Amino acid sequence: MKSVMIKTHEAWLEMLMAGFMSQTENRQTLIDFSDILFRHFSWIENELVIGGENYSYDRDTIPIRVEKLSDILHAITLHLKVLDGELVHLENRDLAKRISSDLYYMTTVLHTMKDEPVTAFSMERTFPGVTLKQEATDALTLFLFEETYKEYELIMIYNYLKAHTNDSYLNRIFQILIEESFFHLKRFCDMGAKMGILAVPRTVMKELYQIEDITQFLKDGIDEELAAKEECKRLAEAVAKESPEMEKFFDFINYQENYHIALMEDALRYFSAKGGMND
Amino acid sequence: MTMDTQLIEHMMNPKNYGTVENSNAEGIGKNPENGEKVAIYLRVMEDEEEPYIDAIAFQAIGCTTTIVAGSMLTEEAKGLNLNGACNLVEATLKLLDRLPAEDAACSEMVALAIKAAVDTYIKRQENADHPAVTYFVENSCLPKEEGSAV
Repeated sequence: MKSVMIKTHEAWLEMLMAGFMSQTENRQTLIDFSDILFRHFSWIENELVIGGENYSYDRDTIPIRVEKLSDILHAITLHLKVLDGELVHLENRDLAKRISSDLYYMTTVLHTMKDEPVTAFSMERTFPGVTLKQEATDALTLFLFEETYKEYELIMIYNYLKAHTNDSYLNRIFQILIEESFFHLKRFCDMGAKMGILAVPRTVMKELYQIEDITQFLKDGIDEELAAKEECKRLAEAVAKESPEMEKFFDFINYQENYHIALMEDALRYFSAKGGMND
Repeated sequence: MTMDTQLIEHMMNPKNYGTVENSNAEGIGKNPENGEKVAIYLRVMEDEEEPYIDAIAFQAIGCTTTIVAGSMLTEEAKGLNLNGACNLVEATLKLLDRLPAEDAACSEMVALAIKAAVDTYIKRQENADHPAVTYFVENSCLPKEEGSAV
């Protein structure tokens, strides 16, 4: 069953990246499919939790650099077929059937998608309609690599915490944090693709999500969010002259971090009062 | 960090990121200042003359600079014998003075993790259960303020 989870994890990210390679109506379909694969991932994880199995979010590197969308769609189709074959290892046969049905539909749709050239790996580092100075371009490049990984890391951390708590109050907080991080991840991937530097976030180390001291994690997390706000502020100032739209976007992301902070403070208060997960 | 195509390539596709199947030595480089760390995984093979690094990989809790340093240094370490790996570490540590403080700490962390992994391998020749060696960086990740005392 662990191999099913790993393959689903890889298919989710591959599909998500394919979405940002597209500049046509294919994009939203691919992103929607990636959301479905993430939900499959959570379903399978829940089976592992119920079965009391140890697992991690380790996975292989996912090569995505292509020149045509059809190349990545072909690779995804092959991976979905392999994944479908692996479903035999899922003990929950109803879940396996549901997932298999989705995979069949996705594969069918992928076959019908019109091909398009991919510029998401050009490394040109220019943003459409915006001329940035070299310093601002470098700052934006670094920000996108740092934050794309960070948002993926947060999704994995909150997802793991959510999978291991039955507390509805904490579950609500973790779910909102997952959704917030997904929104940011997608925005940064979109910008990365436009800049020609789209990349799959690297694997998250186990000790980051298999957290021993959640109180400390939440405290550190609040500090990190405050630092991220400052980074967004600096970036907004760096691009302000060249692009008022981009300045507004980074100000928006800066203020969005307030949700993260409020939720983490809420979780910290609640968690501290309860004295632990699942108590 | 000044960016060129090679650097961006390492950011987009870090080389050797992950773990090594059947690794026989691990090493850790840590920054006590901020909790960042690098883990190196080695598969050391013995040929007729001396042991050499057959496979190397790294994982990191750290910034993009750490990832780039890990990608570059593990590429250079691949295939080296243990003396060669130690020379690579030494050469890297000697270059740190020329780097900005935050970049120096990241590169130092990777170099020390490689040294730790090599030392783990050596210690395991006498004690197969020896735990992974950990070394701590001396450089500060935080840039010094202008005019502050050194």
